[in-house]
Amino acid sequence: MNRALVLACGNSQRSDDSVALHIASCLRSGNCDPETEILSHQQWTPELAEPISKAEIVIFVDASAGMPPGTIECRPVQPAPDASAGITHRTSPAALLWLAEKLYGRYPQRACLVTVGGASFELSETLSDPVSHAIPRAVECIKALLSGVTLPEG
Amino acid sequence: MPKTITIDPVTRIEGHAKITLQMDEQGEVSEAYFHVTQFRGFEKFCVGRPFYEMPYLMERICGICPVSHLLASAKACDALLAMKVPPAAGKLRRILNLAQIIQSHALSFFYLSSPDFLIGMDADPKERNFFGVMAKNPELGRWGIRLRQFGQQLIETLAGKRIHPDWVVPGGVNEPLSIEKRDKLLAQIPEVIEIAQKALTWFKRDVETFREEIRTFANFPSLFMGLVTVDERAGYYEGKIRFTDSLGDIVADKLEPAHYPEYLGEAVEPFTFMKFPYYKPLGYPDGIYRVGPLARLNLVDNCGTPLAQQEWVEFRELERTAVLSSFYYHYARLIEILFAIEHIEEYLLDPIITKSQARYSASLNNLEGVGCCEAPRGTLIHHYRVDEQGLITWANLVIATGHNNLAMNRGILQAARHFVRSERLTEGMLNRVEAVIRAFDPCLSCSTHADGHMPLQIRLLSPDGTLLDEIRRGS
Repeated sequence: MNRALVLACGNSQRSDDSVALHIASCLRSGNCDPETEILSHQQWTPELAEPISKAEIVIFVDASAGMPPGTIECRPVQPAPDASAGITHRTSPAALLWLAEKLYGRYPQRACLVTVGGASFELSETLSDPVSHAIPRAVECIKALLSGVTLPEG
Repeated sequence: MPKTITIDPVTRIEGHAKITLQMDEQGEVSEAYFHVTQFRGFEKFCVGRPFYEMPYLMERICGICPVSHLLASAKACDALLAMKVPPAAGKLRRILNLAQIIQSHALSFFYLSSPDFLIGMDADPKERNFFGVMAKNPELGRWGIRLRQFGQQLIETLAGKRIHPDWVVPGGVNEPLSIEKRDKLLAQIPEVIEIAQKALTWFKRDVETFREEIRTFANFPSLFMGLVTVDERAGYYEGKIRFTDSLGDIVADKLEPAHYPEYLGEAVEPFTFMKFPYYKPLGYPDGIYRVGPLARLNLVDNCGTPLAQQEWVEFRELERTAVLSSFYYHYARLIEILFAIEHIEEYLLDPIITKSQARYSASLNNLEGVGCCEAPRGTLIHHYRVDEQGLITWANLVIATGHNNLAMNRGILQAARHFVRSERLTEGMLNRVEAVIRAFDPCLSCSTHADGHMPLQIRLLSPDGTLLDEIRRGS
């Protein structure tokens, strides 16, 4: 069983939307336990329920258009079905946990969503300054979560 | 009083559309229109770009079937270069195409349509969705996820990423397949074959409970079109165009895909951005034809792989002639999944598949090129013209979903006449009209090169255009 799973979501051609992909790259390049599985995707889809079901801890990483640019938020995620979103384009972290439990019988008891506020989601492969500066803090936050630290919400 | 019904948006399909039903004085549905309301214009904004960029521009049309556009575009570029690709590259491209058919069909059947089969056509939409299926029959959910996962992982293994890969290039592919990767793929085959067979058993057991839908979901005579190989199998990557009729007889055969303007016309209607292709010798709209899984299984006399062949024989025994009900598109998708897995195994076991020569190079040799393959939803044609510097001067895309446009419109009318019989709309009526479209699994992002979810609106209008009732779903 994988000890930890990090799921990064973003579009590399939509400016700050790609911040999770950058964070995943930092984690891969020696910034976390090599046994941590790090998966980067443009969309979260139901197929991820299976690897999630095998993890002890899962950390979802995404950009947010509703937070001040460069701010970081970490909050726990609980399983819940979510039929409101089109599953072919996006399955929510809560729904993925729900699917993991329904289909594969278990889900990680520790599940967190780490979001970074974005400034621009226009067509660009460059991050805005505040988001770029937030990456090291986000990486440290995720490393702390992976090491078992319980962070205060927000 | 005559009236009009509009369904807007249509749900659980790829893209945006609405449906209008026109009622007559007797309260019967007299006309039905499937409106595709978006436009993206890929054929226009690619003008001026170098031809070798086209595969990577055109695959961006769609996030579900980018591989189809990638392959058709690369084949059109091969034609501009007047070259063939190395044998290993040809087989690797074929595997990639079949992998995409598996993942796309799994998405259509298990994620989008199985709520209708399992939860019921009349059920509350709050229950009749993917999560409802997972709650009621987790095994069915696992099958769908595993089959889609297999197709996607295969694409990722070969092409580097699941969506919008750049591995297929004019002249071949970027990187050969290693023996290690091949062996990992082969190891998964028995499991996914077993799942495909179980899914077929499950569907066949219950399919006859949908007798009313089978009878009324775009169940009418039409032509069928698709690629057929020299050995008379459905040609997913190559072949010549064949048309058959509703009796199963060949109407036209061995037509060059590159000569499509000689036998395919494209009509335009004011109520939609999606064109209406038709078979030219019969004119518009009599030249109605269908493409995709149902058509492909109707076109040939031999499926070509052992397990899928058994299923194909049983499928064709549904009718003495061609299988006409579009409800059976769902059935055909499952058979094609099984066929694709078996065929992928055949390719992977061919020693040539790991040869290192994966790409040839050439200079521009033609100013016009056509590429054609079978996408999950049907025949896909990319046609480009370039100047002597290799810059695109004109492009035309004939999209799989577009071929079915006439049939979808006629199918909606047939189903609406059967199920819509009052001034008050019910959820079951609305869902069945939607489900006709869902059976075709249209990708409106492709067919209009449009984007996003597909909401649904049904409007019921009087003969004078007065809105009598309306249901909206999604946004």
